[in-house]
Amino acid sequence: MPDTHFYRYDDYDRTLVSERVEQFRDQVRRRLAGELTEEQFKPLRLHNGLYLQLHAYMLRIAIPYGTLSSRQLRKLADISRRYDRGYGHFTTRQNLQLNWIKLADAPDALAALAEVDMHAMQTSGNCIRNVTADHYAGAAIDEIEDPRIWAEIVRQWSTLHPEFAFLPRKFKIAITGSPNDRAAVRVHDIGLRLWRNEQGEVGFEVIVGGGLGRTPMIGKTLREFLPKEELLAYLESTLRVYNRYGRRDNLYKARIKILVHEVGVEKMREEVEAEYAASRDGALKLPAGTIEAIARQFAPPDLPPRPAVSGLVEAQRLGDPDFALWLTSNVAPHRVPGYAIVTASLKPAGTPPGDASAAQMDGVADIAEACSQAELRVSHEQNLIFPHVAVEDLPQVYRSLAALGFAQANVGKITDIIACPGLDYCALANARSIPVAQRISNHFASLARQHDIGDLKIKISGCINACGHHHVGHIGILGVDKNGVELYQISLGGDVDFGKTALGAILGPAVTADKVVEAVDALVATYLDARRDGERFVDTYRRIGAQPFKERVYAAV
Amino acid sequence: MAKNLSGDLQVASANRLVDGLVVWLDEAGQWTDRLEHAAVARDKRGAEFLLERARVEAFSVVDPFLVAVTEGEDGTIEPLSLREKIRASGLTFDAIAADAVRYA
Repeated sequence: MPDTHFYRYDDYDRTLVSERVEQFRDQVRRRLAGELTEEQFKPLRLHNGLYLQLHAYMLRIAIPYGTLSSRQLRKLADISRRYDRGYGHFTTRQNLQLNWIKLADAPDALAALAEVDMHAMQTSGNCIRNVTADHYAGAAIDEIEDPRIWAEIVRQWSTLHPEFAFLPRKFKIAITGSPNDRAAVRVHDIGLRLWRNEQGEVGFEVIVGGGLGRTPMIGKTLREFLPKEELLAYLESTLRVYNRYGRRDNLYKARIKILVHEVGVEKMREEVEAEYAASRDGALKLPAGTIEAIARQFAPPDLPPRPAVSGLVEAQRLGDPDFALWLTSNVAPHRVPGYAIVTASLKPAGTPPGDASAAQMDGVADIAEACSQAELRVSHEQNLIFPHVAVEDLPQVYRSLAALGFAQANVGKITDIIACPGLDYCALANARSIPVAQRISNHFASLARQHDIGDLKIKISGCINACGHHHVGHIGILGVDKNGVELYQISLGGDVDFGKTALGAILGPAVTADKVVEAVDALVATYLDARRDGERFVDTYRRIGAQPFKERVYAAV
Repeated sequence: MAKNLSGDLQVASANRLVDGLVVWLDEAGQWTDRLEHAAVARDKRGAEFLLERARVEAFSVVDPFLVAVTEGEDGTIEPLSLREKIRASGLTFDAIAADAVRYA
C-alpha cells in the first residue's frame, strides 16, 4: 500500500527542492561568514520561509492544501525535536510554524523536510503562497470533486513561477469542492469553488478580491463558470492583470482586493477576459491526460462499505456523556457508508490554540496509521483531521486522542478558538492573543455548557493583519495597543459559511485585557436569553442586532 | 532602525544572528543575553552614540535598535513597552514541553 492517497513528488519536484536546500545552505554559510549583509540575506531567508520574530527565527513550513501523511507528521515532530523546542504551531493557513529555529540549523531542517516531499518555499514574500483547501477534501459527503487535484495543479504552476515572484503583494488562493464552504474562499485573493452547472459539467466559480487584514473585503465573482481545464490560463490572466495594475506605491493598498475595489469587478473582468482570450488555448490549457495523471494520485483509498451503526459506539454513547458530545461535535459524515471524518481538537482547555508537542504529533501519526489510512488534514481552524475512520473504530480513536489531550468535544464551540501567535511571538503584533484565548477557554471549559451554547466561533488577532481571522468570527477580538496598553476591540456577526460570508461589525469601545472574558460572558448571556429554538449565536445576533449585546457588555465591563 | 530616541534612558538591543535570540549591548561593546548587563544611555546624545556603537558591533547580530527603559532605585532596568518586556522576559504563558503527551 502506498503511504499516501495524494500527490507524491516526482524526480522534477525532488530535484527542485533538494537544489533549493543546497542553495540556501550556501546562502546561510555566506551570511554567517559575513559575506552577505542582512539586507542581502533577508529576502533569501524569507523565500525559504525563515522569519525573524521577537525571540528567535521562525520557520513556516508549507503543508500543501493541508494534507499530510503520518510519515510527514512524524518528520515534523522529529524536526521540532532536533532543531526546535519540541513543539509546533498549526496556523490558519494550514501551515506549521516552528518558533525557535537556529539559523545554522535551518538548512538541515529543510533537508529533513525534503526527505518527506515538503519544503518552506513561498510561505513568505510577495508571491503565490501555499494553496489551501477544504480540510474534509477527499472524504466530505457533500463533495462534488476533490479540490486537492486542482490545488496540486496550482501548486506546480505557481512554484517558482518567474512572472509572479515579485507581485505587488502576497497572493493567497483557496479551493473548495463542496457547496458548504470550509475553505473560506470568499476571503482570499482568489477563491475557487467547484460546482456542477445545469448541463452537468463541473467547473469553477472564480472569486476575486476577498481578504481580511487592514481592509477586509468579501470577494466578488469574476467568472460564474470556468471549464476546469482552463483554470491555469484564467489564473495566469488574473495574476497578470494584478501584476500590471496592482499598486506598488503603498504597502497597504497593494493587495488585489484594493485593485478590484478601485476599478470595480466589471473592469477587472474586462481586463482579465481580454488577457484570457489571448491565452486560453495556449500552453496552459491542460491536456486531459495531465489532469488524469494528477487525479490518479488522489484516488480515494479502498474503503469497503461498512455498517453505518456500530453496537460498540452506541453502547459507549449511552454510558459516556463526553464521548456522546464528542460524536456530535468532532465527528462528521463520510462519503462512504460506515466511515467518518474525525477532528482532533488542538484546543484543550486553557492551552495555546493549534499547538502540538512532538510527542503529540507522533501520537496523532500513530492514530492515523491505525485508523485513518495514514492520512491527515490540517484545518484553517487549527485542528487536525482524520479523514477516513471506520465508524466501529471511533471508540478507539477517541481513547487514543484522550490520551494525547486532543479529545475535547469542542469543535465549532466557544473554546475552539482561532488565535494568531500574537505579541508573545510575532514581530508585527500589537497585543497578545494566546493568553486571551487561554482565559476564555478556561472560563468556558465545561463541555456541557459549551454544547448548551452551541456553535460559536471566536477568532482572535493580535494586530490588524488579521492572521486570527477576527473579521469573520461570530465574535471577533482584535488586540490593539493604545499608549502602551493592550486593548481588545470586539466585533460581532462575522461568518465564512458559503452564501453567508459576512464581516463582523465593531461593537463599541475596546476593552482592557482583564475584561475580555467578562465581555464574552455578557455576549453569551445576551444570546442565551434571546435565542429561539435552533438559533446559533450568530443567527440571534442577525435577528436582534447589536444593541442588546452592546448594552449588556458595557454594563459588565 | 532607531526607535524611541527621545526617551530618557535607552539600551541597544538586537537579535543574535546565529539563533535569533534577544541580546543587548554591554559597556564593553559585547552582546549579552542579560538585560541587567546592558549599557544604559542617559540622554539623547548618549543614545545616538550607543546606537552607532551597536551598529559598528553588528557583525554577529541583526538590526540593532534602541529600547526605552526605566531604572529602579536598585538599578534594575526594565523596558517601557510591553513588546520589549516580552522580548526581555520571554513568553507570557507556558509553552508545551517536547515530551508532553498532553497538557496537564
